[in-house]
Amino acid sequence: MQNRRDFLNLLCRGTLLTGLAAASGVLVYRSVKEGQCKLGSSCNNCQKSDSCNLPEADLFRQTVWQLDPKKCIQCGRCAENCVMTPSAVKATHVYAMCGYCDLCGGYLKPDTKTISTAAENQLCPTSAIKRKFVEDPFYQYTIDEALCIGCAKCVKGCSAFGNGSLQLQVRHDRCKNCNQCSIARNCPSEAFSRVPANKPYLLQGIESKDENRG
Amino acid sequence: MKQKLIIISALVLLLALLAFMVKDFFFSKPDSINPYDLELNTIRNGDTALASYSETSQIKTSLDEIHGLATGTSGEILVSGKDGVEIFEATGILKNKFNIEGTAQCIAVSKNGSILLGMTDHIEIWNNNGKKLSQWNSCGADAVITSIATDGDNVFVADAGQKVVYHFDKIGKLISKIGQKDPATGVPGFIIPSPYFDLGISKDGNLWVVNPGRHSFEKYSFDGRLLSSWGIASMAMEGFCGCCNPSNFAFLHDSLFVTSEKAIERVKIYNPDGSFLCLVAAPAQFEEGTKGLDLAVDPDNRILLLDPVKKCVRIFELKKP
Repeated sequence: MQNRRDFLNLLCRGTLLTGLAAASGVLVYRSVKEGQCKLGSSCNNCQKSDSCNLPEADLFRQTVWQLDPKKCIQCGRCAENCVMTPSAVKATHVYAMCGYCDLCGGYLKPDTKTISTAAENQLCPTSAIKRKFVEDPFYQYTIDEALCIGCAKCVKGCSAFGNGSLQLQVRHDRCKNCNQCSIARNCPSEAFSRVPANKPYLLQGIESKDENRG
Repeated sequence: MKQKLIIISALVLLLALLAFMVKDFFFSKPDSINPYDLELNTIRNGDTALASYSETSQIKTSLDEIHGLATGTSGEILVSGKDGVEIFEATGILKNKFNIEGTAQCIAVSKNGSILLGMTDHIEIWNNNGKKLSQWNSCGADAVITSIATDGDNVFVADAGQKVVYHFDKIGKLISKIGQKDPATGVPGFIIPSPYFDLGISKDGNLWVVNPGRHSFEKYSFDGRLLSSWGIASMAMEGFCGCCNPSNFAFLHDSLFVTSEKAIERVKIYNPDGSFLCLVAAPAQFEEGTKGLDLAVDPDNRILLLDPVKKCVRIFELKKP
């Protein structure tokens, strides 16, 4: 016959054991889900990957996260899932592809009545795109990265109405290069991958290596 | 008893919380609502009912790629594309088909019935039976020929690569170049961000050229003087959208302009003064991303539209009241 204290002790131990079992299960599940290396775990999940001397970890350290504009579906999650605020993903302008249009689909709202820099006409929710007159009828569009939140609204507009010169990229002067990228985990089109650190950008429409900013 | 109840309740709550966390971590899908979404469906789907024309038939082609559309002297329909040309009766029955070497980006028919093909950098002349009659000199290594128009004696060729219109005589001798930027005469120069650059000859004997980067039509005399222009850059129905539009146009019998656009795929009719008249085909009637909707008008004033994605000629007629 157990007294009430024994009963409570047993209950607490049982709860703790259940919790431990669940935590172990979570770790095993995540390890299996993310894939295994020869060490039995993935560098993506390994907290020692920064100091590990094994070749796999060395290779891992020489890569960075980047998103492929060809796979990007402009879902807006880059703006909300990054551990940085604002996101380390920014709109990037490939000038070689840009038409320098007056009626820019990446800058102006589709239903805009007048072509001007008025805030109500701008597509970007933070007015991060700056429009500058070059010569008739050309305008240059530049990104203020401090304001850009990586929402991809301009990217979608440029793809729909223009040449697709506005593209999202992880900016490596801001990216923390987390072992497990929070955006990559939530990216529905699996556009994120690790790329060599010496070629960290995947911009479309740039043929020259020199233009692929490192 | 009361304390035992509290402990059991707390444990139940703890387990429920644990279960929620497990479900949230492993089984919940990311939120599919995008607060930054750019809504384009309204533009793509909202105007179908406004169309004053209805699609009455389609003519399927067997070419791998189709690029050019024209009507012949007796109403036949000609389609040019990769490695071939197809000629259809007005009823849609295939009349003839012949092979060519390369891709004919555009096509026109002269008054004597010979077929002019724009082959990237040069013009080729063929007859209806598939015999090549002549080949003109190359317009240059950078040439991208996108449109041809002829009144029999004069042939105008649009070159998107070099942003100029060539004026040839009927045997291919270059007479002049039209549309090069010249502040002295007020010619603004053609702005062509992508290779869509169309032209046509109006009934009053003037040359109309699309200046797609300016979203406008420019009217030139045959000797190259800029006479007038019209066009509005706007996503709205009455304007031309995107970076470079209209992509193609043709003249209806009453000198109305029928135009097609890319980005927001739509076909519209404008009055000769440039005011918007009506919608022919709404964006919802096209596959998203369709480009190169070449246009022609047949002797019955039907609008013929080349749809490169559906690989067919789509025929539109005015809706009966």
